[in-house]
Amino acid sequence: MEDQIILELKNVRKVFDQTIALDNVSFTLKRGEIHGLLGGNGAGKTTLMNILYGLYKKDEGEIILRGQPINIQGPRDAIHQGIGMVHQHFLQISNFSVLENIVLGTEIKNKFTMKMDEEAQKVENLCERFGLDVNVTDVISSLTVGARQKVEILKALYRGVDILILDEPTTNLTPQEVDALFESLRVMVNEGLSIVFITHKLREVLSVCDRITVLREGKNITTLERKDASEEVFVRAMVGEKMDIEHSIYFATEDRKAFDRSKAGTPKFTLENVSYISSDGISKLKDISLDIYGGEIVGIAGVAGNGQRELAEVVAGVIPVSSGRKVFLDKDITHKTNEELLHTGFSYVPEDRLTDGFLVKATVAQNLILGHHRGKPYSDGKFIDWKKVHSECTEHIKEYNIKTSGPAEIGGNLSGGNIQRVMIARAFCLASEVMLAHNPTRGLDIPSMDFVYQKLLARRAANYATLLISEDLDELMRICDRIAVIYRGQILGILAREEFDKYAIGRLMSGITSENQPVAEGTIS
Amino acid sequence: MTTVKRAIPYLLAVVASFVAAGIFIALMGFNVVKAFETILFTSFRTPNGFIQTLLKFIPLLLLALAFTIPLTAGKFNIGGEGQMIAGGIGAAFVGIMFGNLPAILLVPLVILGGIVGGALWGLIPALLLYKFNINEILTTVLFNFLSLFLIDYFCTGPWRDPAAGHPTTIAISKAGWLPTLVKNPPLHIGIIIAILVAIGIYIFTAKTTSGYEMIATGANPRASRVFGIKVKNMFVLSLVLGGAVAGLAGAFEVAGNQHRLIEGMQSNFLVLGLIIGLISKGNNAAVPFVAFMISVLEVGASAMQRTMMIPVEMVFIVEALILLFVLLSDVVRRK
Repeated sequence: MEDQIILELKNVRKVFDQTIALDNVSFTLKRGEIHGLLGGNGAGKTTLMNILYGLYKKDEGEIILRGQPINIQGPRDAIHQGIGMVHQHFLQISNFSVLENIVLGTEIKNKFTMKMDEEAQKVENLCERFGLDVNVTDVISSLTVGARQKVEILKALYRGVDILILDEPTTNLTPQEVDALFESLRVMVNEGLSIVFITHKLREVLSVCDRITVLREGKNITTLERKDASEEVFVRAMVGEKMDIEHSIYFATEDRKAFDRSKAGTPKFTLENVSYISSDGISKLKDISLDIYGGEIVGIAGVAGNGQRELAEVVAGVIPVSSGRKVFLDKDITHKTNEELLHTGFSYVPEDRLTDGFLVKATVAQNLILGHHRGKPYSDGKFIDWKKVHSECTEHIKEYNIKTSGPAEIGGNLSGGNIQRVMIARAFCLASEVMLAHNPTRGLDIPSMDFVYQKLLARRAANYATLLISEDLDELMRICDRIAVIYRGQILGILAREEFDKYAIGRLMSGITSENQPVAEGTIS
Repeated sequence: MTTVKRAIPYLLAVVASFVAAGIFIALMGFNVVKAFETILFTSFRTPNGFIQTLLKFIPLLLLALAFTIPLTAGKFNIGGEGQMIAGGIGAAFVGIMFGNLPAILLVPLVILGGIVGGALWGLIPALLLYKFNINEILTTVLFNFLSLFLIDYFCTGPWRDPAAGHPTTIAISKAGWLPTLVKNPPLHIGIIIAILVAIGIYIFTAKTTSGYEMIATGANPRASRVFGIKVKNMFVLSLVLGGAVAGLAGAFEVAGNQHRLIEGMQSNFLVLGLIIGLISKGNNAAVPFVAFMISVLEVGASAMQRTMMIPVEMVFIVEALILLFVLLSDVVRRK
């Protein structure tokens, strides 16, 4: 019973246009195990599971479920076969209750009266069994990300699945929520479920998984029992032979010294009591004060949607502050437009690359000069020197490892990771006194992430100031000198590098300032 | 290699639409080969045919640009007709009111009158978009209707030509007529100006900083705004430029061909301009070539109707089919 193989994927192959997403990948899942599917971005983890869930069609290969070869037509079919998936982005209706979201799309007994006592009872039983504490009558929009994820898991369990796929489930969870999730997963496998845990975070698979399969560039590299292998084996499997792990920042173990504020002069960039009220009257940022010195990387941690985006846009000058002051090198820049800021030495990597940062319909070259197009070296203000642009762009493409046929290729043809590299190249290629990077490594594989970290540290060494907003707490703790935690538009605390502690930051991320004391009682529902 | 590759779907689309039209013509009982010969070669057989083609080419080119320039910034200008009429009115106004100026002054002023008239007609929807975020497609279309009333007012009102049977103004001063390059049949200098405008637009979009900003705005207005481009100004600029170009077409019609303002002078140039712009996929550099091709078809079509009694609508079908097939080839390639 223990080692019974419930699911097997054999020699699966998937090709998108010209890129081979999966090449001869095999994967087995045993009953009652948590199987980690580990790999960097673009390794093919999600593609593999989307094939299993019926979202993509495989080009070649076999899926064998409980000894029977099957062909999965779509998610509905997958659920029918007992396979459930929790996506990175939840598909929930925010003004419906938890219960309504869970039963949506299933047969309801009392279709016309919508009396769902029986269903509610069933969901509550599930909650209790698996330690998923959610109140079924709560409305989705009032829940935290962690709770919404529980709803998503309940959705799958309610449909009676016995194989659960979790795609990067810990993104956006606080460390405490991660621990709770892992406990629930343990209960589930003890009850006989099998779980596939997709992630790029090595520490997490090591702490929760029984077996681990590593994918890299669409190939499966190895499958190992957790207890049989050391961390180094997995690191090497994830990144391949080429990467220099010794000098990497991603896997660095020794402690870097934090920036010493006592010897610094004046900050490069300061926010003084900045507030922002959105056009529909909602207060998004409350009284934020923050300063960044040259040679310092300041991080903003927080669960997504707590005002990070507004903070980024206020700093970049995309939206005006409602009150407060912005100061750059002792000059008041509160009312400068973003165009002026870009020229006085700001650079910006926006979070949402497809809407905020990238011209899908324009060429790679046109993308690389966006924002720099009015000044040297690309332009004399009136005419753009396309020859210069193309020669510079060819260099950037090489340096930043952007996979494209050349500067004249249309941006929309690039993959997500390459689009991100274009944005990175654009922000880093010209020197800037203050950089604002919002999730700069999203969608990048590990060597590319490491490259971005090297670049950020190079800025630090060159005495430039950097504000790094990230959803990835590990990333922040890896390279920041200070981390400010944002919660509902407020900075709840700023920690210096010596004080970094995952759980302390996690507490602040969920709005708890001193031990177990929620701030502003009543605002948390 | 890549240019050849890119041209293949277009060639296929043209061939396919001719095949489809050929079937229709054959079903109607006409000689297909002769019909196609007429459509394709009328423009090149006689000097007259060629000049007719160029005269068609001028407004088609300008009206297509009036559509594609705003499209560069991501805005849809469906008001080329109204802007052309407004330009015609502007030109007629100058030509009639300042009739005693010498030609050296009056000709440029008449042209300028057209440009200003068209630009104004593009400016109002642009400002409504800028100030109140009113969709430009809606306003530009509505402004077409306004212009119809306006031209009716001028042609039946103060400058009415009582001797004419059709609503028409009196002729503009002879000093305001566009000089001709060829006397008989007359080909006015509008052809040179139109080509210069097309080249100018190409240089503007491909080389200048503002042109780049306009392309960026069209590619992603949100990202452009985040990176410091004033996209709303780009919207206004593009719509005003488009209006000015359409207005120029109106001025040429008044000062070059009719020498007066005539109701109905806008013909079906708007729709043809849209078709040309769409076949070119909004590429300003491709517009002149497509516009010329469509002019050849148009002139061939009227010849076909005259000599073979095949309805001229046949060519509209061909043009529409080319557009359909070009769009289809896109979808097919994406699959």
